[in-house]
Amino acid sequence: MKLLGLIFVFIYGILLIQQTDGQRSRKEGGQTSSLNERVQQLIEMSNKRSLMRFNGNKFRDFVKATPRNYSVVVMFTALAPQRQCSICRHAHDEFHILANSFRYAHMTSSRLFFAMVDFDEGSDIFQMMRLNTAPVFIHFPPKGKPKAADTLDIQRVGFSADAIGKWISERTDVAIRIFRPPNYSGTMACVLLIVLVATFFYVRRNNLDFMYNKTGWGLMALLFCFTMVSGQMWNHIRGPPFVHKTSSGGVAYIHGSSQGQFVLETYIVFFLNAAVTLGMILITEGAANRGDVKKRRIVVILGLGLFVVFFSLILSIFRGKAHGYPYSFLFK
Amino acid sequence: MGLGGFGDPRPKRSHNPDKHGLFSNASGWKSLITFTVLALAWISGFASRLFAVIRFESIIHEFDPWFNYRSTAYMVQHGFYNFLNWFDERAWYPLGRIVGGTVYPGLMITSGSIHYVLHSLNIPVNIRDICVFLAPVFSGLTAISTYLLTKEIWSSGAGLFAACFIAIVPGYISRSVAGSYDNEGIAIFALQITYFLWVRSVKTGSIFWACLTALSYFYMVSAWGGYVFIINLIPLHVFVLLLMGRYSSRLFTSYTTFYIMGLIMSMQIPFVGFQPIRTSEHMAASGVFALMMALSFLKYVQTILTKAEMRYFYMVAVVGAGGLVFLTVVLLTYAGIIAPWSGRFYSLWDTGYAKIHIPIIASVSEHQPTTWFSFFFDLHILVTTFPVGLWYCIKSINDERVFIILYAVSAVYFAGVMVRLMLTLTPVVCVLSGIAFSHLLGLYLKEEENPSSPDSDSEDDGSSEKSSRNLYDKAGKLRRMRHEQMRESDGLGSNVRGIVVMAMLMMLMMFAVHCTWVTGNAYSSPSIVLASYGQDGSRQILDDFREAYYWLSQNTHSDARVMSWWDYGYQIAGMANRTTLVDNNTWNNSHIALVGKAMSSNESEAYKIMTSLDVDYVLVIFGGVIGYSGDDINKFLWMVRIAEGEHPKDIRESDYFTERGEFRVDSEGTPTLLNCLMYKLSYYRFGEFRMDYRSTPGFDRTRNVVIGNKNFDLTYLEEAYTTEHWLVRIYRVKKPDEFNRPRIPLSERKVKRSKIFITKKTNKRRKGTIKNKPTVVKGKKPTKAA
Repeated sequence: MKLLGLIFVFIYGILLIQQTDGQRSRKEGGQTSSLNERVQQLIEMSNKRSLMRFNGNKFRDFVKATPRNYSVVVMFTALAPQRQCSICRHAHDEFHILANSFRYAHMTSSRLFFAMVDFDEGSDIFQMMRLNTAPVFIHFPPKGKPKAADTLDIQRVGFSADAIGKWISERTDVAIRIFRPPNYSGTMACVLLIVLVATFFYVRRNNLDFMYNKTGWGLMALLFCFTMVSGQMWNHIRGPPFVHKTSSGGVAYIHGSSQGQFVLETYIVFFLNAAVTLGMILITEGAANRGDVKKRRIVVILGLGLFVVFFSLILSIFRGKAHGYPYSFLFK
Repeated sequence: MGLGGFGDPRPKRSHNPDKHGLFSNASGWKSLITFTVLALAWISGFASRLFAVIRFESIIHEFDPWFNYRSTAYMVQHGFYNFLNWFDERAWYPLGRIVGGTVYPGLMITSGSIHYVLHSLNIPVNIRDICVFLAPVFSGLTAISTYLLTKEIWSSGAGLFAACFIAIVPGYISRSVAGSYDNEGIAIFALQITYFLWVRSVKTGSIFWACLTALSYFYMVSAWGGYVFIINLIPLHVFVLLLMGRYSSRLFTSYTTFYIMGLIMSMQIPFVGFQPIRTSEHMAASGVFALMMALSFLKYVQTILTKAEMRYFYMVAVVGAGGLVFLTVVLLTYAGIIAPWSGRFYSLWDTGYAKIHIPIIASVSEHQPTTWFSFFFDLHILVTTFPVGLWYCIKSINDERVFIILYAVSAVYFAGVMVRLMLTLTPVVCVLSGIAFSHLLGLYLKEEENPSSPDSDSEDDGSSEKSSRNLYDKAGKLRRMRHEQMRESDGLGSNVRGIVVMAMLMMLMMFAVHCTWVTGNAYSSPSIVLASYGQDGSRQILDDFREAYYWLSQNTHSDARVMSWWDYGYQIAGMANRTTLVDNNTWNNSHIALVGKAMSSNESEAYKIMTSLDVDYVLVIFGGVIGYSGDDINKFLWMVRIAEGEHPKDIRESDYFTERGEFRVDSEGTPTLLNCLMYKLSYYRFGEFRMDYRSTPGFDRTRNVVIGNKNFDLTYLEEAYTTEHWLVRIYRVKKPDEFNRPRIPLSERKVKRSKIFITKKTNKRRKGTIKNKPTVVKGKKPTKAA
């Protein structure tokens, strides 16, 4: 589906390039076109395709030509598969959403245009702009040359459509409301899941014992508790790094302060919590069950070991994070 | 235990054993121990909440409690009805605030009625002391209701454990230390007692208990916005019970009674009003109510129809009823009769929502997600043991254990999303850990009395462990377990048993020590009085906040308007009794954004806003001298963000960041930042300030930099007061005729200069003249130039 769309876009793009090339060759007779003509062309082009694809000549015609009364936001990218730029693809999708949202809201606006330059189509532009990375977003203001702030700081704000939109509204005072094409994949997955579960129940309708399997439910509830208690929700919201590479080249697994945590750290805590809980359950089971005394005794000792050792481990990690915490057990 | 088996009878029964031999009467022992343990839990819970009072003084803490205290004092002074009609013109200038209709009055009524009772008994207690000690007293009640809840769910031994846990667990202490006079202090008690009554009513199916549930739910609604948790959890419980095929007439009676009574009573609170029938948060309860009705109808029809008819009818009814309810809700939502989820609740589900859309919610540190560290910090060993209790509840499930399981799972999710909701998780963690420990120790201690293996070793273990646990008042509950448990043959051996018991006690002792340490170090600071410790351990009290507020109350006009960031609104109103623009009741985002805009614009822009809002004084908190990290510069980005949300044209967050995306106040900071009002007010005259001879002037100890913009003057404001440690700085806004009007460059002058400078000087008259200047002749009285 997606592939088909891409192919379609590609063909369409080729057609467009040929068409506009034709237009341009017509124009070339009358040297550089006037401002009005250029704006007209840009509007036409962007009505056909909100994210215009520029090659070297067009870039010079529309972006570099001096009398301008419009802003152009250009994405410099390398989409060809052999370039192996996976970020570019994401960035392209986001940028495309943004361009579409803008076109949708301002059909005939001539203040702002969106364009992209692919490295394989306009490597001369990359040289001209002294770019050696992709993707790069540059805003070309109506007057003057792009300043430092006219380049989107991808490191800091990322390249989500919202972030680019915010940056554009800072640079050009054009606020863009992002219309994301409704994502049906989530809904589809949900429906599919429900259908699957329903069929499963239907097929097994005569034997629903597994629904009464307390161990299964118990494990699910416990897993959920451990997930939450080990701070996975924090990870989900804040998106911390997996581990931290220190300046001396080492790897820090545990965040040094009580305010933060790494993903791996939460997995460790998850495991430690689960081990302590398991230990306590083993201790209880060892006493509650009947049967071989020796076996039970081993179970109890094992449980006690788990309980004490892993709890001391948690405590020592905790102690490392809480500066000045005085208590510890077994491990410092 | 019969219907009246909780509450009062306990102390009475505890007297019985004294009369007839202690060892002969097991139930007497039981009651005595129960009573003693609960009393000790209450006392130790109360005592460990007194750190702040002992270290500092009997004072109201933080921010919100100041408002609660102020309105309680108002209610005590003017009466309840005047309180309900109170329009507070000192807040949210110039809008004002209808206080009676925008607060949960339960807290004020509680302390007001305590005050009333004490005064009618001729015990003259100041309302402030009642407010300070309300939360610690209620923690004891919470412990008792937790005991009752756990007893209903598992056993009374587990209940005693749970009561002891909740008495000292930091997750609850954090919101209920003496002086923290806030809704949560009484709300957790209301929450636990409601849950206990609900479980009891499901168990008995009596209308009496269901009515009591509704009554305590009413108290909860009047006390805290967290009542939404109850009104969703109880229907969820009912729904899950229905799904599990555990429908019973008990359930029907208790839920329908509770729902209708609870609904009607909750709507009596002015602040809640019609929300229970108009907002999505409450729709689950009515949906379950409709489902319950439909189901009971079906059960009734089932008795009439034949089986074949029934099946057909059942299908039609189920599909029809489900579709109808869903359609109704959707239609009503679209028609605008039911309001959709409010932002605060919505952010619980879509966790990224608040960060993007509502900076004012995201800016509050209580609304941040929870790290594993906070879980461990607040719950210590309980965090690892409550899953054990959960496991055994699932393993031996019944109606009321379904409730506690759902409670645990939902609360642990909410606590993960928001630090603040750790408070609702804490009670269930205590309950489940109580179950876990009681179950385990019950198994290990019952063997002591096993006649088949009488050994003195384990008996010694028992007594030594008893004396060790006396230290933290959990005495006796294990004894009780021994009596209760059935004896089973085993053979684990006294050594293993002893080691396990000792290890458990060790852990519990570490828990108690941890709780005390956390309470003393983290949760017992009043935050309006700060303490710093010197290298020799001497303590220095920084009382700058009260100094500044007292200055305001003594030196400013009584209707002076004070502009500050919203955090300090309640304190200014409560302590200085002056009008504020915004306060901690953040109901009007655009007003807050306006203040944020004033703080983040340059002086002249800010002056326009300030004059339009009639501001007389500006108050900023500045921690650069003593290294106080919670000051306004550190909060400044939130002001910018909130202002940007409403005024995106004028304020841009990126202007306050350097090229490299850093927020810095030193010389590399952006000019926008170095010239904004907040910066200037914080650092005015700070460039000349040096801590001691070695340090450079203008060194900010909080951010560890030398500030970037040192020598500047204020045009539109003047410094009115700065406290001893510079923590609070108050500026007076000059009237338009006061300040030196800034020099307008020649090119921008409307009135051309050439006109002004037409000089009368000619070659003959070199002297300048002043218009209407009286001519002074020496030796004569000056005469008016008429």
